[in-house]
Amino acid sequence: MRVSLCWLAEWIDLPAPASEIAERLTASGLEVEGVECLGPDLSGVRVGLVLEREKHPNADRLSLCRVDAGDGAAVDVVCGAPNVAAGQKIAFAPAGTKLPDGRVLERSKIRGVVSNGMICSARELGLGDEAGGILVLDSAATVGAALSEVIPSGDSVLEVAVPSNRGDCASILGVAREVHALFGGEIRIPPVAATAAAPPPLPRIAIEDPEGCNLYVGRIVEGVRIGPSPDWVVARLETAGLRSINNVVDVTNLVLLEFGQPLHAFDLSKLRGETITVRSAHEGEAIETLDGVTRKLAPEDLVIADADAAIAIAGVMGGAGSQVGEATTNVLVESAHFAPGRIRRTARRLGISSEASYRFERGVDPDGVARAADRAARLLEEIAGGCSVGGAIITQGAPREAVPPISLDPDRVNRLLGTSLAPSEVASLLARVGVASSRTPDGSLRCEIPSHRSDLRRYQDLVEEVVRIHGCDRVPTTLPLVRLAAVETPPLRVLADRSRDAFVAAGFFEAVCLSFLCSADLDRLDLAADDPRRRTVVLSNPISEEHACLRSTLVASLLRAARENLAHRVDRVRLFEVSRVFFDEGPAALPREPLRAAALVCRAERTNLWESSKPPPIYFEARGVAERVLRELGHVASLRPGSGEPFLHPGASAEIRLAGLRVGSVGEIHPEVARRFSIDRPCAIVDLDLETLAGRMAAPAQYREVSQQPPVRRDLALLVARRVAAGDLLEAISKAGGRDLVSVDLFDRYEGPGVPDDEVSLAFRLVFQRLERAFTDAEITKQVERIVSMLGHRFGAELRSAPGGGA
Amino acid sequence: MPEGAADLDRLEAEARAALAAARDVQALVEARARCLGRKGSISTLLRGLGALPPDERARAGEAVNAVRDRLEAFADARRTELEQESVSRDLERGRIDVTLPGVPSHAGRLHAVTRAERDICTFFASLGFSVEEGPEVELERYNFDALNIPDDHPARDSHDTFYVRPGVVLRTHTSPVQIRTMTGRTPPFRFIAPGRVYRHDASPRHSPMFSQVEGFLVDERATFADLKGVLYAFARHLLGPATRLRFRASFFPFTEPSAELDFGCVLCEGRGCATCSRTGWIEWGGCGMIHPKVLENCGIDPERWQGFAFGMGMERAAMMRHNVPQIRLLYEPDVRLLEQL
Repeated sequence: MRVSLCWLAEWIDLPAPASEIAERLTASGLEVEGVECLGPDLSGVRVGLVLEREKHPNADRLSLCRVDAGDGAAVDVVCGAPNVAAGQKIAFAPAGTKLPDGRVLERSKIRGVVSNGMICSARELGLGDEAGGILVLDSAATVGAALSEVIPSGDSVLEVAVPSNRGDCASILGVAREVHALFGGEIRIPPVAATAAAPPPLPRIAIEDPEGCNLYVGRIVEGVRIGPSPDWVVARLETAGLRSINNVVDVTNLVLLEFGQPLHAFDLSKLRGETITVRSAHEGEAIETLDGVTRKLAPEDLVIADADAAIAIAGVMGGAGSQVGEATTNVLVESAHFAPGRIRRTARRLGISSEASYRFERGVDPDGVARAADRAARLLEEIAGGCSVGGAIITQGAPREAVPPISLDPDRVNRLLGTSLAPSEVASLLARVGVASSRTPDGSLRCEIPSHRSDLRRYQDLVEEVVRIHGCDRVPTTLPLVRLAAVETPPLRVLADRSRDAFVAAGFFEAVCLSFLCSADLDRLDLAADDPRRRTVVLSNPISEEHACLRSTLVASLLRAARENLAHRVDRVRLFEVSRVFFDEGPAALPREPLRAAALVCRAERTNLWESSKPPPIYFEARGVAERVLRELGHVASLRPGSGEPFLHPGASAEIRLAGLRVGSVGEIHPEVARRFSIDRPCAIVDLDLETLAGRMAAPAQYREVSQQPPVRRDLALLVARRVAAGDLLEAISKAGGRDLVSVDLFDRYEGPGVPDDEVSLAFRLVFQRLERAFTDAEITKQVERIVSMLGHRFGAELRSAPGGGA
Repeated sequence: MPEGAADLDRLEAEARAALAAARDVQALVEARARCLGRKGSISTLLRGLGALPPDERARAGEAVNAVRDRLEAFADARRTELEQESVSRDLERGRIDVTLPGVPSHAGRLHAVTRAERDICTFFASLGFSVEEGPEVELERYNFDALNIPDDHPARDSHDTFYVRPGVVLRTHTSPVQIRTMTGRTPPFRFIAPGRVYRHDASPRHSPMFSQVEGFLVDERATFADLKGVLYAFARHLLGPATRLRFRASFFPFTEPSAELDFGCVLCEGRGCATCSRTGWIEWGGCGMIHPKVLENCGIDPERWQGFAFGMGMERAAMMRHNVPQIRLLYEPDVRLLEQL
């Protein structure tokens, strides 16, 4: 709602400058989102007093003045106007001021004398054409005051955000009431047409849907001459952001803005029959509305109808057929009170938000309905040359429920707010918002709710009124007195945080991507039709096709991230994300939202400018990260070749298993999938199912005694068939070595000259150590022989040379 | 014994020359062995003294011993010298261009919003608030109705809701966690509920997904003043001890009384700048006393229990701290941005 201050000032004396009114309204719940100045911007220009005036030493036509602008010290100002004189109050623009024409004043020398600003003429201030001399102000003006406080320099418009429970504030009257509540002052209601006359006999008004409409007031104005509105009406509407249509329509809009009561004017000659009916729409009924659109109505819609058809959608928009036009002479002004819920549902279903529906949805004052009709009749007489015929035709729908008084215990106010307001203070704060109260014998206040405050229903609502007028800032600031309680965090959150820390420690940046997914990405990932990740949660109103559903995998987000980063020539991408993914669980349940962690590593062929040799395949980087993160979480995972993921390289991926359960996968992106995501360099991912991991929380690490005995090292170089997985060899060695074998590592892998074509040389380093005593050579040799023979037996491995080693 | 003396002088001079000629410690050890070792020239000379008459023997012995002492001192000095040279040579060999760039140590980093979330959780844990979570795809009933926002209430308009199907939405705020948490529990309790929320708004200044933290406390005497106290403590923890707050009365269907919460712009210290749209204040969130209907909807008697709730975006503090102009930048997985923040 845009509120012109000039307009508001006609309703209540403005107690303070625009900025202060805006601030107080904002603090008390009517947020002023902006103040727009319609006139010239005079901020910076102040009232100054000319203390002395002398002739300029170097110029005959210039004066040198000493001006007091309220800063304490007077300044020298050169002035060229003939009418400047000592003792005048003038408009002074100090150096640095931006004048309405855009010029910024500078401190300058004029004919050898420094001038610290300018004494302004009306023209320089954009206040008129008078340029022959300076603007001389009222001698009562306060020196140093902002000029805008002394002379009206144009209108300001407050852009007020009306809270959704305060439909009454969507009007000048409503804002005037708020100003009254905050600052005091009298509210002046503009004049209305005579109301005493008997209503005209026709048309009759029948309310067939009394729940939808509990009051309908009509007024007949005859003999109007349709034409443009007077300038003041056009200007008023414009300040509020409405366009002028013609004098009759403008009157209805003006009254809507004044009182917040939506009105509609029908051309009486276009109405058929003698009765106006307020009823529910018929099945299949349609109406062409003012905007030229034909709209299909539903039975829950409320319409205004004549003998033949609907002539308006009640509270939402009028019909084209009964519209006021050039030829209109007699009009029926409608002012009614419709059920807010009905209007809202209709407006929403039809996708219309009109000034009328906006106010009806938020509730209008039932006691103001007739007054608005009378006001419109008066204005139609004044500006459209019409003549009211009789008084208002008033038809009652369902009797309005009397709003019962609310009982408010002043102690309760203080117990909720933490204040110590006396009952009389509470009563006087309530009185400021129009709630009259009286003390009852039990000490509580019996509060009468004014008709325009349909939002006040419980005593808590009154507490809100008390605090908002009293001022939230005046409520004390205390800390609660509470009973201690142990703090709990959901275990999955703990796991999520620990995995985040593990990825960060491994050198990864955390990304947080939007939860949306482009469904085509699932095709790009080659997911099978029956893949569970195809069961996405689809949005019925997505922002775009790219955001059509919620993601069921983090992999697509990371691949997109990699693509974007590569496009920006970032050649080293190490990202991870820990987030929920979403799976549709059918119409009877909410989706499942399990937690996943995924990481992506992508880099140039070489990782380091100095590096002379190619690094190992990127799979091993991803695998190393997976192993490290799992280790940080207290798990030792086993990896099985082949992840089964369609988007991973079948020969360079593995599934991660923990105690027989699949907990994720790691692998290089399938080259075809990488191509689809425009990723042109080695790229691998880790995908972990934290939900499954959470099911097997690792036990805390256990202490093991550290041996004081010397470790014994043996290196084994073995020739094996290439199809033998090194992981299997490692596992077998580890198992066979038992407790005494403290570590086994693969330290060399070689294929090429000297090794048969289908074989590979693998070199393992075994370290033996035990607690009790040092090993003898013979003991170690025996152990190694046992392992070698096991490897030969199970994997066909052949020793290349005698085991080397040492301590 | 003039000849003997001359021999001795020559011997000493030769030994000195040999020792001085040694270029490293190894050569010095060898040269020393040649003159001072058991089979060295001096030792040989000393052994040969046995053939001299006793009176000469004593004198000659004294002279040879003096020479040996001098040579040994010389050798020791030379050794120290050579060792120092060797250290210097090693240092010289180890000299590098220290202005060459360091080998990158690739650290990772948590997302700025994750860090803010942890900070927030840690702070509220210190006040005894436990953490609760709720689904991001939520029943419309919990997101709206139970929070006293019935279907035909205009307050729904401001929520820009994503729908999954009738009755199921992407939660527009973390407030439904209040309902899920309070239902079936008996006060007193206090919780915070951080999490992602969604609004159907694709304008550049907004993000369709953002993060909120909800907090609520219910007992028999929690007041609006207590709410202010908790939020002041929170703001000062998060934004600095000089942070100013502004509570503006407002309307939310699920709190009564309600207030909007602003903090004094940290960048301009309230003077007004582009970040705070020249107002000196930054909108942060909403708060208020939990509406009696909300308590009733959770099976809690509002005549006995009362409490407060608050909710705010988690990104604000991070955006202020890092001077990020738009929230959506936080959700771009752009390494160049992630490395900065």
